[in-house]
Amino acid sequence: MNDVAPIQVEGLIKNYGDFQAVGGIDFEVRAGEVFGLLGPNGAGKTTTVEILEGLRPRNGGRVSVLGFDPGKQSRKLKDRIGVCLQATNLPEKIKVTEALDLFASFHSRTLQPGTLLERLQLEGKRDSFYSQLSGGQKQRLALALALLNDPQVLFLDEPTAGLDPQARHGIHELVQDFRKEQRTILLTTHYIEEAEKLCDRVAIIDGGKIIAIGTPQEIQARTSGRSIIEIRCEQPLPGAEPPAWTDAEKVTIGEGRRAITVVSARPARTLVEMVKWIDQQGIDLSDVHLKRPSLEDVFIELTGRSLRE
Amino acid sequence: MRSYLALVRIDLKLALRNRSVLFFNYLFPLIFFFVFGGMMGGRQPGSMPYIVSMVLVLGILGNGLFGAGMRAVQEREANILRRFKVAPISPAPILVASLITGWVIYLPSVILVLSLAHLVYRMPIPQNLISLFGVVTLGVLTFRSLGLILASVANSMQESQILIQLFYMPMLFLSGATFPLALLPLWAKITAQFLPASYLVTAFQGIFLRHESFFENRTAAAALVAALLLAFFISVQLFRWEKEEKIRPAAKLWVVAVLVPFIVLGVYQSHSGEFLNKANALYQQMQHSGRK
Repeated sequence: MNDVAPIQVEGLIKNYGDFQAVGGIDFEVRAGEVFGLLGPNGAGKTTTVEILEGLRPRNGGRVSVLGFDPGKQSRKLKDRIGVCLQATNLPEKIKVTEALDLFASFHSRTLQPGTLLERLQLEGKRDSFYSQLSGGQKQRLALALALLNDPQVLFLDEPTAGLDPQARHGIHELVQDFRKEQRTILLTTHYIEEAEKLCDRVAIIDGGKIIAIGTPQEIQARTSGRSIIEIRCEQPLPGAEPPAWTDAEKVTIGEGRRAITVVSARPARTLVEMVKWIDQQGIDLSDVHLKRPSLEDVFIELTGRSLRE
Repeated sequence: MRSYLALVRIDLKLALRNRSVLFFNYLFPLIFFFVFGGMMGGRQPGSMPYIVSMVLVLGILGNGLFGAGMRAVQEREANILRRFKVAPISPAPILVASLITGWVIYLPSVILVLSLAHLVYRMPIPQNLISLFGVVTLGVLTFRSLGLILASVANSMQESQILIQLFYMPMLFLSGATFPLALLPLWAKITAQFLPASYLVTAFQGIFLRHESFFENRTAAAALVAALLLAFFISVQLFRWEKEEKIRPAAKLWVVAVLVPFIVLGVYQSHSGEFLNKANALYQQMQHSGRK
């Protein structure tokens, strides 16, 4: 049983009138992995996830979540999965424990709400009204509600959007805990660092199509994989043009000729040659920085746009 | 069943924590009661059944149209229903909980108003308390469901306010709740026969003044039940969990479908004249008992 992927998507299509939000995408999420859908706003991430959760009908393709067809068996599916949607609220005057008891009544089996509160560090807030919670606490409560039925598959749609860095860090730790518990997680995000930090595999989605899929390392390696070398010097560089270092591209000299930036596909070799040349000029180094390509760079390379545009 | 009970329980708690719910359900009717009671009740004891009927009907209108209708739209606009969308439930328990909560919250105000009318203005306690309870229950449930159908076809808060006022205002002034039907011009009398609230007014007055039973008001009760079922069923079908899901303008016509029982009843009453005869007779009886 375990080798059957809990989430399978083949040729998924979703149209809103003439606009195609999702244009025939394929992927699967394996048991126990954290899979990220990464892309800019409006790329089709939320639409895809909401189809998988049984919240929206699809126009084409085959979809299976835990063996259910979300389009036909949404009630049974919702009883088994955990969902944390973007931009949801609870009534202002509902208490934290009341919210858990209420949503527990909708499921056929549930965890102890008390244990969940402890787990999500909300025990001190159990009798607080929803309106009295901070953004991070509201999001933790949303996660507690998503975990109520002890789901094997969790959907987290932009789980840290709008949170401050500390609250975001807290949510990241929770997601890592869920992974240790062997839960299968599909999360959407437009934060690169979130995808790199949390996801075993990532699909980069743009304009309703998957443009790259794999582990973050695989995706980075598959592109041209150029690194950026930045070197700062104590003294200005001589006026003469620097030599053509091996594999160096786009050499730029700035900051009063005290900084060199070079793009290189084989940064180790380029860096050694650069340092040797600077030393020969009798110039001291003040800083050396090597930046590996991020998923953001990959996205820019593939689409010509930044993720947050 | 567990989800129905849990939703009713939480709706009741939330309602009791909401100051505007408490104000409009308990304080607002009392203000009307004492203002009109003070003006007329002291001098004219016969006017109390009229005043109590007015207070009860105003309470039902507010509880249903604003309490159920406005709140349902607010919950959708505030992305609260969106959270319920991911739960394995249909809209039915949410709507049923709204109906039952409104009814439970309304009952104490009926007891309060009747007790005050009896203790302060010596109005006799109606003989047919069970019939009164029946009409109150049916009235609240029907008007709650009318509130819900208005919420179902409104695409925004502003739209819902307009729709609710379009229902509320005519029923406030033309149903006989605030001005006796017998004193209204002919066009208003004709209109009144098509308004659900008019039948509540005459049913309450009939129970207070003529000791009528629920059974004697069965035609009106049948129309209320039919409207209740239609409004509930259509509300379930048109239910939207998210503010982004807009409804087509033509779907607003479903509201007219819900009112069909009262359109039929209105046409029947226009021909038979029963309703206006009853309204006139009740008014005369009130005048008469006031002079005693």
